[in-house]
Parts: sequence; structure tokens; C-alpha cells
Amino acid sequence: MNRRPHVRRQYWNAPTMSWWERLYLPEIVRGLSITGGVFVRNMWRWMTLRKGALTTYYPEETRADYAANNRGKHILTQRPDGRPQCIACNMCATVCPAQCIEIDAAFDPDDPAHPKSPSAFTIDYSRCIFCGLCIEACPEDAIRMVRMVPDFPGRDRERMWITLPELLSWNPQSDVAKPYPGKTGTATFRESR
Amino acid sequence: MPEIFIDGHPVQAEPGQSVLQVALANGFYIPYFCWHPALSVAGNCRICCVQVEGRSWAEISCNLPVTEGMRILTDSDVVREQRRATLQFITLNHPVDCGICDKAGECTLQDYHYAYNGRPSISLEPKVRADKFHALSGRILLDNERCILCSRCVRFTREKSKSHALGIKRRGDESLLRAAEDHALDTDWYSDNIIDICPVGALLSRSFLYKARVWYLQPVPSVCPGCARGCAVDLWVRKPQWRLKSLAAKQNTSIMRVTPHGTPGIDGPWICNKGRDLARIFERPRALQALRKGQPVEYGVAVVAARKLVADAKRAVALVSNWGSNEQLTAFRDRLGTRFTVYIKHDHMPQSGEPVEDDFLIRADKNPNTAGAVALFGARSDRAAEFPADTDLVLVWGEGCDFTRLPRGVKIVFLNAYLQPENGHADVFLPVTIQMERPGHYTNGDGVVQAFVAAVAPPPGVADAATLFAALAASEVIPA
Repeated sequence: MNRRPHVRRQYWNAPTMSWWERLYLPEIVRGLSITGGVFVRNMWRWMTLRKGALTTYYPEETRADYAANNRGKHILTQRPDGRPQCIACNMCATVCPAQCIEIDAAFDPDDPAHPKSPSAFTIDYSRCIFCGLCIEACPEDAIRMVRMVPDFPGRDRERMWITLPELLSWNPQSDVAKPYPGKTGTATFRESR
Repeated sequence: MPEIFIDGHPVQAEPGQSVLQVALANGFYIPYFCWHPALSVAGNCRICCVQVEGRSWAEISCNLPVTEGMRILTDSDVVREQRRATLQFITLNHPVDCGICDKAGECTLQDYHYAYNGRPSISLEPKVRADKFHALSGRILLDNERCILCSRCVRFTREKSKSHALGIKRRGDESLLRAAEDHALDTDWYSDNIIDICPVGALLSRSFLYKARVWYLQPVPSVCPGCARGCAVDLWVRKPQWRLKSLAAKQNTSIMRVTPHGTPGIDGPWICNKGRDLARIFERPRALQALRKGQPVEYGVAVVAARKLVADAKRAVALVSNWGSNEQLTAFRDRLGTRFTVYIKHDHMPQSGEPVEDDFLIRADKNPNTAGAVALFGARSDRAAEFPADTDLVLVWGEGCDFTRLPRGVKIVFLNAYLQPENGHADVFLPVTIQMERPGHYTNGDGVVQAFVAAVAPPPGVADAATLFAALAASEVIPA
């Protein structure tokens, strides 16, 4: 087989070295002094019982400095009686570009104001890309993203599914932006007049 | 043949046709709610309006007979304004709860709103509330708020199913669709068709209620095995890209609903309620384990045992299933036909409470492919015949065989798809696929051959009966 000899490709941003840098040893010493300085500084802080490097010991520690409008983990808002505001219309699941939302719907014939509700609501955080389109698509302000990130670490993907009880665990009493009528029970219809 | 002009294009029309029929037949779309190709003209929705050139007003095209040289405008300013006003009127009391409506995604009102109106309601009055989820029958719920009073369902029960079970009572915005007092919709064996022909989500199937949004589903063309009519149906299963991963995986392989495929000539746009409930036939517990005298064995071991029985038999009888496709029946005839005396087994008999036969669709033979089996093996039914006295092996293919009727002491090779007590009584039992897991053809009672395709993948551990027959006839070991 007749192969052409390998020619190293020339890039426009190929590094150029000065004479001093070509000497090799002075630059090695300079680099070691930077990392060594950081090591000595952190070690000194640690020896004097202070926090050294800026490492966050995730997941035992989480950052506190997320932005106020950070798109973290999802929550489902609730009606005053504690049931989810979600109507299981699947708009979020349909618009989701990662297709990571899956919803099962339940039917409650006794509640004509809210007959359809989710019986299962799963978000797969191993696939979620945190784009926030589900929040845009929701017609009921039922799904939002809060500041804190979900509890990710685990050894299998199943652990990265967030389910309905956890989605409903966010419950500030005064925050539901869109109050809904509670369970009416006996609605006044034409037929029952 | 009168020639008319639609939007300036000359088209040929049959005398007596309406402008709407001519337009749809020639590729001009005119919207319609209450008109249906198989039902009488009601003319109450007013959305199909067109303008005849030279007249200043719009008129409904479903009830406008064609005349020679007629010049129709389907998209003039008058027509557009009329459609917009009509849609405003129709949605006057419509709740617009598309988020919880099972029809959303295939709703005519939704489509027309975006195509022809696109504006929110201009009404200042509060919407009239009506019954939500009124039980019309054990199978159908009515949402009276969504109903637009097109009366398609009423006309269907009067003209097609002849049950006269529905009517509209009261007037104006108090109108209510209700079941007639002296005719129950429960006894109408075609009642579920009104769910299909409802242009909005007013009529809801209880079995499909909130199961899935329709855009997650795809129709798979199939043939209803419920009777010898062989209606062409669509089995709706989840699209591959919408398979569930974290929720119940059974939803990925189950039939969500069944609708008519609409093949002209066989059944038109209608099927009976038994066809809607095909899931009850197909989703019974499946047999997934090969058995030898009731003990679980490997599939290959069971096939070898069955082949030995077939090879050693002196007088072998086969009861072939008339639920087998033409391909499977042909495979049986080609591979094993010479070694067996063949009887045609009727897998299903009419159940109690089920209508045996009527003059609309339902046929007395409750099996899909009796005609195909008879064409290959002759009309020898297992119900009437006596088996030869020296029978020593019976190959039973399909369910519905009473083993006590077989001669005493014979060996039994049994091919069945479902988990049934007979499975354990056979000398060799082999699980096989069902119709929705394989493609094939059925010949219906009128001799029409129709194709069906596989809707889902077969579960592991079962084989197509056609490949099984090849394995039973082969002289070498073929692993399953």
C-alpha cells in the first residue's frame, strides 16, 4: 500500500514560543511555583482550621448562590385543597424536546370543575435539558421550575426520575397565582333544575 | 352531466349531487360539521356556506343541488365573513376545555377555528353551563357543554343502527342530547360509531377516556376477527417515539382504541361494538411458556417432542384454527397437510348476550377466516364430524376446543396463544402469536381477502404458527 507521509497540519493559531520559553526549565519552574503556591496556601488555611480550596463537597453540600430565576427542579402547583392544579393535558410532555415527561391521567366524575388530573407524573432528569419549555406550554400555571436543582446523584437512571409526590412537595400557601374553585360536588346544572 | 364552476374551475357533476359533494370529490375543501357522507342532510351547522356568483348572500352547500353552469365561490369575502360568524355562534357556549378533551388533536371544531376564525369569543354573556359527563349508556359519556347540536349521532341511530335511541330535547341554548325513554342506547350494538362521527368531543368513549392524547397514537390497519364480516379496522397503539419509559410499560403494547378503517364496500365508516372491544379478546392473559404434560420445558425441547409425536403417529388428525391467517393455513397445508386428516375448528362461538346476526354488519360465524380455511381444506367442521376410530394423535391449533370430545387415549399437541386450563392437559403445548403480532390476510364470509399488519412485537418465548409448522415438519432440529 502506497501511503503518503504524514504531514502535520498547520493551524492559524499555532503556538509560537519565545527564546526564553524554548529554554524549557524556567517555564517549568514558573508553572510549578503557581500550583505549589496554591497548594501551600490551601494547606495553610486548612492547618489553621479554615476552608481551603473552593471545592463544594457535592452532594453533601450544595451551592447557595444560584440565581433567583435559576431553572432548577420542577414543581407542580396546587389548588387550595392540596390537589394538583395540573389537568394532565400533556402539553408539557408534548412540547418537551427531550421527551422526558410522562403523565398518566385519572378521571373524577364527581368533580366536573376538575375531572382530569394526573395519577402519575414523572420527569426523567437523566434526559431533561432544563429548557423551561414545559413551563411556557402549561395553560394552567401548573408546572414551574424552582431555584434549587434536583437531587441528582445516584447509581442508576431510575433514581433520576422525579415522581408526583415529590413534585407536589413544594407548597407555599400564598403563592398559587391562579386560584381555582375547590371541589364543588353538587354543581348547578340545567338538567338538575 | 351538468358542468359547474367552483372558484372558476370547471368540474363535472352528477345530477342530484349537492355542491358540497361535487366540491369534495374534485379536491375543493368546504368545511362541514353536520353533513356526513353516509347520513342524510340536516343543514343545521351552516359552516359549509358558499356563494353563488351573482347573489349577494351565502348559502349552505350541503343542501344546494347542482344546476348547469352554476358558478360557486368557496372563499369569497361574504363566505369568509359568514364562516367566521358561524364559528363565533357555534362556540358561543362551547367551554373550550381542549386541555381535558379526548377529541383535541382530531377535533373538527379546533381545526376550523384555527383555519377560518382564529379570534377569541366576542360574546360578553357568560357561557351556559350544562351537564358534564352525562352517562348516555354504559359505554358512552356525553359532555353537553361541548355538544354543537349537529345531530349526526341522532341521525345515525335513526338511519343506520335503527335503534332510535337518541333525540334532542328542549330548544335554543337549553338543548340537550338525551337517550329516548323507550329505547336504550345500551342495546344498540353500533352505538360507539357516534363517538367517531361526533365532530367535537361531546361523545366520549368510557374505555378510551383520558387514556392517551390522540397525537401519541398511530392507527395500524387490521381486520376485525369478531365475525365473518371482517370489517377493516384501525388498531390505535402508541407511536414508537412516544413509548413510555418510566410509567407502565403495558401501555406501549396495548390497543388504546379501535376505529373503523373506512374501506368502501366492506363496512364503510361503521363497525359494531364488539370490534371496539378487540382489546378484550387480544389482551387476555397470554401463554408464554411451552409445556410438556403440564410441566414447563424449553421451547426447543417442546418442539422436538411435538415433532416426534407427529412423526410416530399412525393416524393423525388436525383441528386447524379458523383464526389462522391465509399464510399460516397455507403453511400448514404445504408442510403438514399430507400427514393429517384436517378438520376446521371454530375457535369462537356466539357468546350469550351477543347478537348472533343482523341485517347491518354482524354475521353469525364469529370467526374471521372460516372461508379461507374452507378454501384450503374443504368444509369439514370439527363440530359435526366423528374422528376416525384409529386416531392416535390430535394436533389442536387455537382455542375453543373441548378436549373431552377427543377420542380417549390420543396424544394431543396443542398450539394456543392464551393462558387456559386446557394448555396443561396437552401432551405438548406450544405458545403462539396472536393476530396483532403478525401480518397476514383473512378471507371474509363474502370472499373478500383483506390484509392486516403487525401492531406490536410478539412477547419473547412465542412463535408464529407458520414457522412452527415448518419446524414440526422438518427432519432436523430447529431451535425456536
